[in-house]
Amino acid sequence: MTDPEFLDQVKAALGEKGGEVTNPATRRFFVTVGASDLLESVKLLREKLGFTYVATISGLDAGESFEIIYHFAIPGAQLNVRTQVPKSNPHIASICPVIPGAILYERELQDMFGLKVDHIPDPRPLVLPDDWPAENYPLCKAWKHIRPEEKIPGGKS
Amino acid sequence: MKFTIPIGPQHPALKEPISLRMTIEGEVIRDADIKLGYNHRGLEKLAEEKTWLQNIYLTERICGICSHSHATCYTQGVEKLMEIEPPRRGLYLRFLVAELERVHSHLLWLGVAGHEAGFDTFFMYTWRDREIVMDILEAISGNRVHYAINTLGGVRRDIDDLQKKKILDSLDTLRSRSEYYFKIGATEPTFVARIAGVGRLSKEDAINLCAVGPMARASDFPQDVRKDDPYGIYDEVPFEVATATTCDVLGRVVVRVKELMQCYNMIEFMLQNLPDGPIAVRAPRRAKPSEVVSRYEAPRGENIHYIKSSGGDKPERLKVRAPTLANYPATVVMLKNGFVADIPLIFAAIDPCICCAERVVTLVNGRSGEEEVVPLSRLRRLARERWKKAPLNKDAVWPL
Amino acid sequence: MLKKIVRWSRIKSPWILHLNSGACNACDIEVVAALTPRFDVERLGVLLKATPRHADVIVATGPVTRQIKDRIIRIYEQTPDPKFVIAVGACAMSGCIYRGAYNIMGGLDQVIPVNIYIPGCPVRPDAVLDGVVKLLGTL
Repeated sequence: MTDPEFLDQVKAALGEKGGEVTNPATRRFFVTVGASDLLESVKLLREKLGFTYVATISGLDAGESFEIIYHFAIPGAQLNVRTQVPKSNPHIASICPVIPGAILYERELQDMFGLKVDHIPDPRPLVLPDDWPAENYPLCKAWKHIRPEEKIPGGKS
Repeated sequence: MKFTIPIGPQHPALKEPISLRMTIEGEVIRDADIKLGYNHRGLEKLAEEKTWLQNIYLTERICGICSHSHATCYTQGVEKLMEIEPPRRGLYLRFLVAELERVHSHLLWLGVAGHEAGFDTFFMYTWRDREIVMDILEAISGNRVHYAINTLGGVRRDIDDLQKKKILDSLDTLRSRSEYYFKIGATEPTFVARIAGVGRLSKEDAINLCAVGPMARASDFPQDVRKDDPYGIYDEVPFEVATATTCDVLGRVVVRVKELMQCYNMIEFMLQNLPDGPIAVRAPRRAKPSEVVSRYEAPRGENIHYIKSSGGDKPERLKVRAPTLANYPATVVMLKNGFVADIPLIFAAIDPCICCAERVVTLVNGRSGEEEVVPLSRLRRLARERWKKAPLNKDAVWPL
Repeated sequence: MLKKIVRWSRIKSPWILHLNSGACNACDIEVVAALTPRFDVERLGVLLKATPRHADVIVATGPVTRQIKDRIIRIYEQTPDPKFVIAVGACAMSGCIYRGAYNIMGGLDQVIPVNIYIPGCPVRPDAVLDGVVKLLGTL
């Protein structure tokens, strides 16, 4: 199916929940939904358009809020669903009831940005080490890493 | 009586550190849990401090076996951001190296699968042939691994007629040797019986848990980015998507073998239809503020990069998702209700490129809490002895 | 006399343990490729062992991530004396391009003492052989 046809199908499926759908390049579509409508929209996308595969979930630190993008794909089209949560209340619903394979990506979001994913089946940290100090979220822009002094054996320190 | 075995970070089996904790009852695995983080190097934060060109070298070193996949996926995305189009000859050379990398990666994996199943001769044979491919890559790019042949706008080196002839000759040798091995593999009943029925993943599970690459294709789910979302020159080069219906380790071996034969055909096509012309165009220093999603079919599955630019000469956000991460939930499902003796085989069958997994098995006695370190070689020996006594599955057929 | 025999046997057959501490895998495949028929390190008597308790030499690749630091120290202590450590690759030497990342400690010598450094990104299997031979020459 061609790109304009797919654009119309996405608009029809999401109805009022979805914002504007853009098509910046062949087979790439971006749509914005509100944070509270996320689970419903994902359910509609799965039932009506057959989006069962989520490639990954990216988080972004956009100043006053966090932006979260869900990358879905089917043969012939790749749809990116964008949503925003304010930093003062960083809660987002989990999409695992609809797509069970998204669990690892949500755990990584919790680790890296400090987002809280509600109703996540498994809330343990994924990639950070066990002795990582709490409340330090590496991918936030404000977090800077201070390199400790290195001792070079047999040389000048 | 349930025991918990941690398969910890240092392990003789293969390459990367990853920790698995399995709860077992007798010989059957009831539950499995994967712990990551040994290989987390903080690349995404590091990428925000380097320029667009320096990041090519950084993304190459995400993985050693599929280094060209990450570099190409990133370069493709940035070229779209900068709105430059590499010339046709540059694209053909880029994907020639990509298919050569797929050949080398599948040969590596076949050797590893043979080694885990106890077929060490197969391991030595396939790795010896892999050296032919490494020689070709070294002649083209100068290094055996991490061939930094991509640049923003094309490729860095060209090939001449002598190299072309050498590649075509080596291809003939590789093809005839590969066919010989697959005949051996197909007619060796112990090998086929050892890997049939191990590590089942049904089609429904593969779809629900978002499995990618040969794992999904072996469960009869034909997902291949080169066909679903063609990038580069894949809409001109003819090939077929390889699938298998058996949903187990035998299916995965068959899928990779079929892909290997397809790769040889593709490389021949690309060499014979190589267009003339320049190999690269100039790239600007800054990219316009925009975002792009780039997908690529690495030997292990789908590789996806999300790049966002805010108008400077450094990226604002680079998000990388390597294919093996997507296969983890499916691995947990495969390990459940499997046997302890099959752990090395199942884990090798997902083609782990976790970039760091050495696994050591520590048996924790549930009752007394004592620990005993069991090397994986002992587990492997146990596995071989068990299979010697098990009856041969005469119905397992090599569906090639 | 006994010392001479022991020293001779140590030089003639060092058993190695391959340890990957957060690397990208390239150096590891090259170390395993050193065992394959083309480069064949087994003719020097080198055997790839499974557990630290049987090994004489630890061959380590990769920059050290924070998560694996304690495990490396434990493995180093589990290896019986006399032991030698070979740091393979630019990452084990100083961190390669990962220097400055938040999860990386630096080279391997920040954690355990190292005897021989083999540079390269990744190292060629011939260089691994050369490094092992040089180590045996100093014994």
